Amino acid sequence: MIWLTWRQNRIEGFVILGALVLSSIFLLITGLQMTQDFQQSGLSACLAHHPGPNVQGSICGPLATAFANQYGSLILFAVVLMLLSSLLGVMVGAPLVAREFEQRTTQLVWLQSITRTRWLSVKVALVLLTGLLVGGALLVELSWWYRPLSPLIGPLNPVAFDFSGPVLVAATVMAFGLGMFAGTLTRRTVFAIFLTLALLLAIRLPVEFGLRPNYEPPVTITWPLAQLGPPPVTVGSQDWILGEGFIDAHGNQTPNLNCHGLGETLTPLQCLQASGYRANYLSYQPADRFWTFQWIETSIYAGIALLALAATFWLVRRRRV
Amino acid sequence: MSNALETAHLSKRYGRTWALQDCTLALPAGRVAALVGPNGAGKTTLLNLSVGILEPTAGSVQVLGSSPLKQPTKTLPRLGFVAQDHPLYQDFTVADLLTLGRKLNPGFDDQLARARMQKLGIPLDRRAGKLSGGQQAQVALVLALAKRPELLLLDEPLASLDPLARREFLRTLLDATVETGLTVLLSSHIIGDLERVCDYLIILSASQVQLVGDLQEIGQTHKRLIGPRQNVDAIAHVHTVIEQSQTERQTTLLVRANGPIFDPSWEVQGVSLEDIMLAYLGRQAGEQLAASSSAHKGMEVVQ
Repeated sequence: MIWLTWRQNRIEGFVILGALVLSSIFLLITGLQMTQDFQQSGLSACLAHHPGPNVQGSICGPLATAFANQYGSLILFAVVLMLLSSLLGVMVGAPLVAREFEQRTTQLVWLQSITRTRWLSVKVALVLLTGLLVGGALLVELSWWYRPLSPLIGPLNPVAFDFSGPVLVAATVMAFGLGMFAGTLTRRTVFAIFLTLALLLAIRLPVEFGLRPNYEPPVTITWPLAQLGPPPVTVGSQDWILGEGFIDAHGNQTPNLNCHGLGETLTPLQCLQASGYRANYLSYQPADRFWTFQWIETSIYAGIALLALAATFWLVRRRRV
Repeated sequence: MSNALETAHLSKRYGRTWALQDCTLALPAGRVAALVGPNGAGKTTLLNLSVGILEPTAGSVQVLGSSPLKQPTKTLPRLGFVAQDHPLYQDFTVADLLTLGRKLNPGFDDQLARARMQKLGIPLDRRAGKLSGGQQAQVALVLALAKRPELLLLDEPLASLDPLARREFLRTLLDATVETGLTVLLSSHIIGDLERVCDYLIILSASQVQLVGDLQEIGQTHKRLIGPRQNVDAIAHVHTVIEQSQTERQTTLLVRANGPIFDPSWEVQGVSLEDIMLAYLGRQAGEQLAASSSAHKGMEVVQ
């Protein structure tokens, strides 16, 4: 059965391998260049001599800004690679069962001497393994690649978070699992691919934008209106700032200012006080919560992957051809 | 001899449509049975229920003494199945398909499979998708046979084949049955080709079983009776009237005789299997016809 699954999907296997090799080459070239520049520019040594959470505000600030300006945009490629891993999951996972239904080969393979549960188990095992390998390989590569940028931007950054820990592996496995589920449900390859993409968006967007900022209650600091300007405490470059603004008359946090008469008769402070604003605020997630957040999100994605695979088994066991 | 296949009140419903209804039949071991019926009669449903691909809505099916759905590990190794249009992995070579058979079946007879491929002139390195329809059907049959099954089920194996391929396919099948005493059930909507290979007949129409029995016995018990126009009640008391047509002067019946026919007013003729099948298949259509226009002149059909 392992032979059969490999024989059926070896082209996909080679495509995945090719994609991994190409991305590795790209990451290696840009990564080496980035590391070299990190050291030659003196940023590496500066950070070693002046450790502190706030890089931008420290003596290394100009160096860090220059470095971030030069390489920050490369993060986009990391995002593309991360999306690619999910896309591979969809492209491989969705046809895995759907194609057998479409070409009616289920009626050939289900009538050999093995049960269809066994048939599906091998496919699922292979999918899990591939998901783990692809996700794991990308995780190792991207973690190494991101090292110079990490002290400047931090791993909790909404973009970097996705490829800086086990979430990347769980998300990849989830894409494979949802693909298999959609393929078994619809029994149509093309339909299954679209359904999987829709499911992935419907899960990941709410998780990343709705749930993630609140895995733990954010830290909120407030300071008097009279003290205009930056917050009185140092927020590190690696902390994830969720929002800043004013506390209004009702005690709500608002990033928007609605102040009448500003500049005409009132100073900014007078205007704020007249409009009922009480204080400045800044809310953020401290960088040291990174691992907690990673494991929470990993559990969510891994849980969904397991549910999808369980549903796939249930469908195959009870559905007609 | 025990039964290779037994069904009891087997039924399958899709939504509101019954694909198979209250099907009770037995196929004794060692027989080569033809399952005939028009398209949509429920043949594929019956076969898929028999191999455990489908789950019945009601009733039960026993294959070689076990339930194919609940005890797949007992039935699967002993079953051979060639589905409609003989699906194969199109990008596999013939050798790959044989490897599949070997890896997935403990009792797979690789030598037999290779020998048959050679005899049929099918190259092992050719991809399945590049073979002709007849060759693909042969490969599917050889794959099923090399499992060394006790019961072989074939769904419309001849439908897509030209007459020559048909003959070769049936020859391969016949060789296998003679060698091993295998039980075979093959479905078809035509009976002509099957008369030579089959010795058992199951007629399925409108999702119900119409007739089951030994082919020879069916041929002997079914008679065509021709006589002057008369009331058929008397003869219907003793024999089963399958089909009846009347002209002004003459009455023609197709009956299943439950004994000798003594009435001298009837001229008794033999009847071909094709005609018997058509008579049974016509029953359902006839009922509908009779219901829709009861005042049908010249000819009426009674069940």
